[in-house]
Amino acid sequence: MTREEIQSKILIVFKEEFEITNPGLDENLTEKYDFDSIDALELLGEIETLLGSELTRDEKKASMDIRTINQICDYIELLAKKRSS
Amino acid sequence: MEKRVVITASSAITPIGHHKEEIIDSLVNGKSGVKELRDDNLLTDHVASKVFGTVSCPIEFDFERKYRKTMGPVAYYACQVVKEALESSGLDKEFISSGRLGVAFGSTHGSPTVQREIYKTFFSHSQSKFSSIGAVDYLKSMVHTTAVNITKMFGITGRVISSSTACTTSSQSIGFGYEAVKYGLQDAMICGGADEYDTTTVAVFDNLLACSTDFNDTPHLTPRPFDTRRDGLVVGEGAGVLLLEEYEFAKKRGADIIGEVIGFSCNNNGGDLILPNMNGITETIKLGLKNARIGPDEVDFVCAHATATKMGDVAEAMAIYKAYGNSPYVTGLKSYMGHTMGSCGVIEAIITLYMMDQGIIAPTLNLDEVDERCSMIRHTKKFREFDIRIAAIQNFAFGGVNTSLLIKKFE
Repeated sequence: MTREEIQSKILIVFKEEFEITNPGLDENLTEKYDFDSIDALELLGEIETLLGSELTRDEKKASMDIRTINQICDYIELLAKKRSS
Repeated sequence: MEKRVVITASSAITPIGHHKEEIIDSLVNGKSGVKELRDDNLLTDHVASKVFGTVSCPIEFDFERKYRKTMGPVAYYACQVVKEALESSGLDKEFISSGRLGVAFGSTHGSPTVQREIYKTFFSHSQSKFSSIGAVDYLKSMVHTTAVNITKMFGITGRVISSSTACTTSSQSIGFGYEAVKYGLQDAMICGGADEYDTTTVAVFDNLLACSTDFNDTPHLTPRPFDTRRDGLVVGEGAGVLLLEEYEFAKKRGADIIGEVIGFSCNNNGGDLILPNMNGITETIKLGLKNARIGPDEVDFVCAHATATKMGDVAEAMAIYKAYGNSPYVTGLKSYMGHTMGSCGVIEAIITLYMMDQGIIAPTLNLDEVDERCSMIRHTKKFREFDIRIAAIQNFAFGGVNTSLLIKKFE
């Protein structure tokens, strides 16, 4: 998956699952859109589906400081790379 | 010091209507809310009972996603009735979030619809979703999902009670809420219960041979509390809420007072978890009267639990006679809508308040010929104009739990 593909898929997830349309890539999702811990857990489920594999506990923990779409894309890019290597 | 506890708002979603006018119209015209059991593609083919107390009126839920995301169907019902009650109450936002308003709200078992989806994923070995059970599924399905979705949606910070005692769920909510206000622990309590469409409950009662099956082709003719042809209960769905307030607080803010809770009792049969128990019920009724500090002759209407099971109705009629004699009118409101489970107590309390307000008593529907074992009490067999001053609402649940709630017309 290219960075563009990841970003496009994540923006679709945000629109369809979280009813957040076209968020700024560096906007703080919690502050701007009330994206909370429950949403974050849902998002991890969506990321698992996207990657086609489960996340480990450490991988999930590593997501806890994520606040923006760009950070989400970085996170997925890293996980995808790890799985393909 | 004990405080007076008054009722200042209510709302109900029932098989015989959503709003007061609609519900009263159903009572006046003897309209039943029992319909054919809708297909769930799982259990309906396997249960003998094909009838269900169905909420058929369209309800436009208008909740933002930030609230919807933790709600199963049962929480939709719960939040809708609370929204309507709070809107009509005139309570301001500052009070609602002050910690002086609490919530006592429950359901029989959270959201079975969501639980079913969780189990489906478990047993399907599906690879499409790797996190088969998530926090959100739990929040939607957990047993106190109604109470906490209410606190979240309205920013309520007071105490939370979430009883889950099947058929006494919401009568306990009202009773425990009443005690919280009576003893000064809260200034106001939102009290109620809800249950969604669910065939698991139908299957449970069906397997116990306690569900009605003789009227599958004529759903409106069942259940038949106290009638010789009664053949069991009809499971239903619904929700209801009462807003209880401390009297001086309500008076000071100019609230519209629609009734007063004057007593509550709750006990257990102390034995069998299924069979109805005449002694246990009688004791509950007596404890309720004692708590309200009134004599049995002061109660002029009994809203009976009356599920229309063979044994339950007889035990209840005997207990009513033992405690009250044959003076109060007795109606079984489940005859109109089936047994709405966790919400039955509050729905029956609300309808009793409607009848108090209108100066009427609705008869028990389908009571064509009273079973002689139930005939010693004063059944309401036809619609009457009657000024109810004090009413008792009684409910009994699996597990041997009994409650009696005493409500007085506000004067």
